[in-house]
Amino acid sequence: MSQHGKPIEHSTKSVVIVGSGAGGGTLAYELTKQGIPVIVLEAGSYLTNDDYVNNEWEAFNQMAWLDPRTTSGSWRIARDFPNLPAWIVKAVGGTTTHWSGATPRFKAHEFAVRSTYGRLEGANLLDWPITLAELEPYYDKAEIAMGSTHVHGRKPLPANNNYKVFANGAERIGYKHYSTGPYATNAEEYDGRPASIQDGFNFQGDKNKSKWSTLVREIPRALETGLLDLRADSHVVQITHDADGRVDAVLYLDENGDLQRQEAALVCVAGNSIETPRLLLQSASPMFPDGLANSSGQVGRNYMRHTTGSVYAQFEQPVRMYRGETMAGVIADESRHDPDRGFAGGYYLETISLGPAFLASFGEPGTWGREFTKLIDGYVRTAGLWVVGEDLPQESNRVTLNSSVTDKNGLPVPNVHFDDHPNDVAMRNHGYQQAELLYDAVGSVSSHRTPPYPSTHNLGTARMSENAQDGVVDKNGRAHDVPNLFVSDGSQFTSSAAANPTLTIVALAIRQAEYIAQQLKTGGI
Amino acid sequence: MAFPAKYPSLNETALTDEARSTLIRVIRVAFPHDSFPDGPYERTADTILKAAEESTWFRVALTQGLLTLAHLAGGDFRDLDEDAATSVLRRIESTEFFGFIRRTTVLNLYDDPEVWEAVGYEGSSVEKGGYVDRGFNDLDWLPEPRIETYEGEPIVEIASSVPLRPTHAAHGGSQSAASTESDTNTQPGSTNSTAGSLAHAEAQK
Repeated sequence: MSQHGKPIEHSTKSVVIVGSGAGGGTLAYELTKQGIPVIVLEAGSYLTNDDYVNNEWEAFNQMAWLDPRTTSGSWRIARDFPNLPAWIVKAVGGTTTHWSGATPRFKAHEFAVRSTYGRLEGANLLDWPITLAELEPYYDKAEIAMGSTHVHGRKPLPANNNYKVFANGAERIGYKHYSTGPYATNAEEYDGRPASIQDGFNFQGDKNKSKWSTLVREIPRALETGLLDLRADSHVVQITHDADGRVDAVLYLDENGDLQRQEAALVCVAGNSIETPRLLLQSASPMFPDGLANSSGQVGRNYMRHTTGSVYAQFEQPVRMYRGETMAGVIADESRHDPDRGFAGGYYLETISLGPAFLASFGEPGTWGREFTKLIDGYVRTAGLWVVGEDLPQESNRVTLNSSVTDKNGLPVPNVHFDDHPNDVAMRNHGYQQAELLYDAVGSVSSHRTPPYPSTHNLGTARMSENAQDGVVDKNGRAHDVPNLFVSDGSQFTSSAAANPTLTIVALAIRQAEYIAQQLKTGGI
Repeated sequence: MAFPAKYPSLNETALTDEARSTLIRVIRVAFPHDSFPDGPYERTADTILKAAEESTWFRVALTQGLLTLAHLAGGDFRDLDEDAATSVLRRIESTEFFGFIRRTTVLNLYDDPEVWEAVGYEGSSVEKGGYVDRGFNDLDWLPEPRIETYEGEPIVEIASSVPLRPTHAAHGGSQSAASTESDTNTQPGSTNSTAGSLAHAEAQK
């Protein structure tokens, strides 16, 4: 069954949220908690923790967003995985159901990149219209909701094998700011959910419910209020508007593929940074010929995916990196802005582990022979880490509608165009080099540089801006052009910062819910 | 080995046992693991043959490829040693034939419990209670590291060498204090940009 919670009439002008992940799921709970009825339209199915499987490909086929997409640009993904630009989830709870759990905050200057970094050729840098100080109270709320370790009295996760290699290497090359978090998975029982059993499966969904997701917290709590109408298997294809340019309904395909119309008083789009601009572009009309809320021309532009890369190093002795929490290991020393390293912005190093199936597919795509197979032969003696850092917004990195390829519903598929900025390349190479030094320091016998995976962090395609000509939404995520349209996911990000984005998406959603509730009360919308 | 037959029996092109054993050899040479038994390689070959049955394009590419291999090998590909067989595969690695085998092998060979056992990967763990009591932290060749947040000096977020250090870089503070001009978007161009000024000049014509 696709409908959950208390049904709301299709003819009732409602608050409609598109998507149920970090942004949409959080917003749904925060609004219903304040007594506001909400409809959530989720394109994916209502999978539960019991449905998950400890198997990489089986879980991928169960959870991942596999609708066709196309790619272009010089990024390697366009060659290796041309139809899989992003590795995100299509299910209730969205990508929070497969994320790892790292929750660092953004730094103050990362909200002011244009002022701090200056003008960087080819980049479309812009300061956020909000500051860290404004977001801090919401970071606190988000960390408490998500049960982030290391903060608000939550105890740290213990060191797993991969972390022992990582942290010892960090110490030996002079890093100080390493720890097993902050990480939104319980080290001990918290918020009605148990401590981690260290089963090693995060990207496959956490069967044990120790990891925070909107599936285990916000969605069930919103349903308990009796004010949520959750419609799974409901893919929104268009947002319509009235003669005044206010949105008045959404059209969506239900579980049978039939088109439905839901009247809307307010629409919040949280479909992740590829589907969100796709929906706005699909909602073009004579009044909004370039797409809804796109007078700036910035919808779909400034697509960011973080500067990433992995290093897998082999040792004489066993590591067994796959045992335990995948990303419970963070080094923050390189997250500073220090242009003397040859690039603007910073990056984190975080532990990561793939099983043999995914390491074979993503470790060095396209290769074969003994050079390739030794990556797998040394699997048990392998430690892994991930570089995740700020990438720069560029206007030409862009999600557009591909009018020559359609999905099973006949809709144009999104095309994702991406080229690395030279700053991204310099940062990635620095990260690779530091990772190799780190592993060398604890006796690695070989190490391998793995290129970026299909993007797990997708950001920036409907960005916040002070001025309407520079971006799509204002500091509350409200569209500059359409007063009752909001963007509620990572698409709002004006810049990517170095930190993993989920905590910031949740903090922004909590803040946005407060704003929407207040506006609804005062008639501001 | 069957040649692709002329119309109308093209769709019935069958791969013989000889072709299957050649395919198994191709996979072993391309993805050599001394510790792997034959089972995973055979299952991968069968997966490839099944996929070929379902796609005319793959079927003709596979059939033609296996035939061509014999030509390049100067005889039976299966008789070549690993080095010689690898050289043959290097010559055809950009073909659809080899690409199809490579992609399908990567997706299937390593998704095989017998392979996991050979490399020492333990597979699904939740039904055994995860690793919390089964060695998630049993690495003993390095000292126990700190897990808590570092309590010494905080990170210097912006290096001291950065000019025009924003005044709001600590916590909060005024947003506008940092900007000296309204060049918030680089595309319209800052005043110190040659390209930007040129574009501006063009626009004013």
